Amino acid sequence: MFKHESIETNSGMLIVLTLVAISIGGLVEIVPLHYINETVEDVKDPVTGLDAVRPYTPLEQRGRDIYTREGCYLCHSQMIRPFRDEDLRYGHYSLAAESKYDHPFQWGSKRTGPDLARVGGKYSNEWQVQHLTAPRSVVPESIMPNYPWLQTTNLDMSDLRDRMVALKRVGVPYSLTTVEYEANVKKFGESVAKTLDINRAEDNLMAQARAGNYDGNPANVSEMDALVAYLQVLGTMVDFKKFDEDYFIQFR
Amino acid sequence: MLTDFWTWILDLGNSKTVALLIFFTTFVGIVIYVYSSRKRSERLESYRYMPLMDEDEADKRVKAAEASQAKGEK
Amino acid sequence: MAHSAALSSEQYNYDIVKKFAIASIIWGILGMTAGVYIASELAWPFLNFDIAQITFGRLRPLHTSGVIFGFGGNALFATSYYVVQRTCQTRLAGGTFWPNFTFWGWNASILIAGLLYLQGFTQAREYAEPVWFIDLAIAVVWVVYFLIFTVTLVKRNQPHIYVANWFYMSFILATALLHIFNNLAVPISLTSPVSYSLFSGAQDAMTQWWYGHNAVGFFLTAAFLGMMYYFVPKQAGRPVYSYRLSIIHFWALSFMYMWVGTHHLHWTAIPDWTSTLAAAFSIMLLMPSWGGMINGIMTLSGAWDKLRTDPIMMFMITALSFYGMSTFEGPMMSLKSVNALSHYTDWTVGHVHSGALGWVAMITFASFYHMIPRLWNTTLYSMQLVYTHFFLATIGTILYITALWVSGIGQGLMLRAFDEYGNLAYTFVETVAFMHGPLVARAVGGLFFLSGMLLMAFNIYMTIARAKQESTVPATAAAKA
Repeated sequence: MFKHESIETNSGMLIVLTLVAISIGGLVEIVPLHYINETVEDVKDPVTGLDAVRPYTPLEQRGRDIYTREGCYLCHSQMIRPFRDEDLRYGHYSLAAESKYDHPFQWGSKRTGPDLARVGGKYSNEWQVQHLTAPRSVVPESIMPNYPWLQTTNLDMSDLRDRMVALKRVGVPYSLTTVEYEANVKKFGESVAKTLDINRAEDNLMAQARAGNYDGNPANVSEMDALVAYLQVLGTMVDFKKFDEDYFIQFR
Repeated sequence: MLTDFWTWILDLGNSKTVALLIFFTTFVGIVIYVYSSRKRSERLESYRYMPLMDEDEADKRVKAAEASQAKGEK
Repeated sequence: MAHSAALSSEQYNYDIVKKFAIASIIWGILGMTAGVYIASELAWPFLNFDIAQITFGRLRPLHTSGVIFGFGGNALFATSYYVVQRTCQTRLAGGTFWPNFTFWGWNASILIAGLLYLQGFTQAREYAEPVWFIDLAIAVVWVVYFLIFTVTLVKRNQPHIYVANWFYMSFILATALLHIFNNLAVPISLTSPVSYSLFSGAQDAMTQWWYGHNAVGFFLTAAFLGMMYYFVPKQAGRPVYSYRLSIIHFWALSFMYMWVGTHHLHWTAIPDWTSTLAAAFSIMLLMPSWGGMINGIMTLSGAWDKLRTDPIMMFMITALSFYGMSTFEGPMMSLKSVNALSHYTDWTVGHVHSGALGWVAMITFASFYHMIPRLWNTTLYSMQLVYTHFFLATIGTILYITALWVSGIGQGLMLRAFDEYGNLAYTFVETVAFMHGPLVARAVGGLFFLSGMLLMAFNIYMTIARAKQESTVPATAAAKA
């Protein structure tokens, strides 16, 4: 017969049973999320049928790397909740699909500063640069640190390919072969697919930085260029005007 | 009937209910086990004294010092 | 039945316990100093000084890793090695090499991880910021720790495994599980500290908060309950109130904690059912938590006068009270309606600190004040300083959490306020301006707590110095004779 005493006096049993007890919660809650399709919404453009949410371009991804490097997530969330005040302040509530290419996720847990999930397009590039360099010069009550080095540091592009290959390994559909490229054309359209080609990553990055001129200095590609490019794309991939107002409710 | 039962159990969407049932029963089982028999209770409660059985010289010394330092004690 | 056969202290491996205890105090000072500094940065942003390495975003992980893994982790190594030896009445397994391996491995890992944060190398996952190769090193150290602990249990001279060791064991197992799964990542190359997490978006969020909450549940709660189940009875000189309750406490806590992590993700883009389930379990978790608290406090029943005379006991009972308070506040904050207000605000930060300062740090202080004189076979340098430390720590904690209640609830209410036309009543930055006062008070509260910590370090230093003096005097006398 089974006896609790045999657990108390047998370290092996104690280990096994404790492991069982502590594993169940995680298994039951997390594992289904990887298999239940509704976890992440399927957001396709109603007209073209293409995926609305795309992986970041090389420049945006490098900007995201700087975002994580500086620990922005410790004071800014990227997750708008379905409340009236948040809708008025930040915009439509966040969809799971909008962060499906985020490795790691940056939903955050604290708003010492405002949410950034839909900050893209809200402010001009000039404002972003000025605000990042000296926040109190545009928002006097702000308690954000100054980030003057972003403007003066050139963006490190030496490991760009390594970074994209690693992201490809964890599931971001960057393409290396023509087959993968063609699949991306079908999924995202040709103009997006071009930006996801690892073989052209550096050219794409330079081209976007030059065309966007995010930091106001066309001579070089700075970390500021990358970070502002990332901030300006946040929350802009899904155009909510194209969808029925309650289309997304079914996924909650 | 039985196949229905199995398909319900194996559906990942129902995993939480299944786990909850199994573990709630186990928990109730543990409570009953721990509190049901008087003899078992006595045995279990005897383990309370385990930390106190290893009193050594250092223990005695510190205790004496703490007692003398404590205000309002002999 | 339990046997009574105390080994003399020479037969235990106290050397390793001493090392971990000292490391814990040093990390405590470092981590808490970083904490006070970043708290001040929030109150007076000029303190960032435009130096990348000391901006809030890079120092904050140093603070959390420093206090959780440095201060807390070393304290858990120290006390678990002490408790497992004394309740099993056997010497620690692994000879001298393997325990020392865990000591140097653990501390070098945290130190290197911390220095890398300052250079901007982080996984950007809260409380799991160390880069991938540090994660690997920690995993190796942890396996060795598990083996040392288990082999010591196996060769024990007591038939029964005392409940404190169960809690330590569940902490070791859970931490291994959480650490491995939450740190799954692909490095960009073998020579770079940079890596990308295996999961993304919603799945990554679930994994991270499964980790994040259970780091609190098993690292900062279960393990420190192990500490409580040994040191409170020892200091009180009385057995724990109910051993049967401790068994129920253990199984209920081990099982339930793992379900509740999702309450960190209420109202976010995850399926609703996970959120509801987590809230339900969070409420249920109140019962084992309070069962444990009552078990600890009632240990003192019949000897309440000790609360007036023994500052170590005062630390313990205050710690248990804060444990009770924060395990009540936690389930309340996990209700979706409350969480809608409290989430993303300082209320959460205050809640964490009522647990971290009030419970974790105070039970550690008490255990150290009990354990350190016994390790060095001496008496504490000054009991008066323990009193002072107690008051500094208590005032600091209360000031801290009160300030953040004001700041958090205030900001939460302001953000959801509307004017008579249905527009937002406040802009975001108006709430930031409002928080300045409370944030200053919070930094002062932290300063109180830190000065208590410094006082403890001094008291312990003097205790050890005196013990060394005492032990050399008879030795030289013997040499002369």
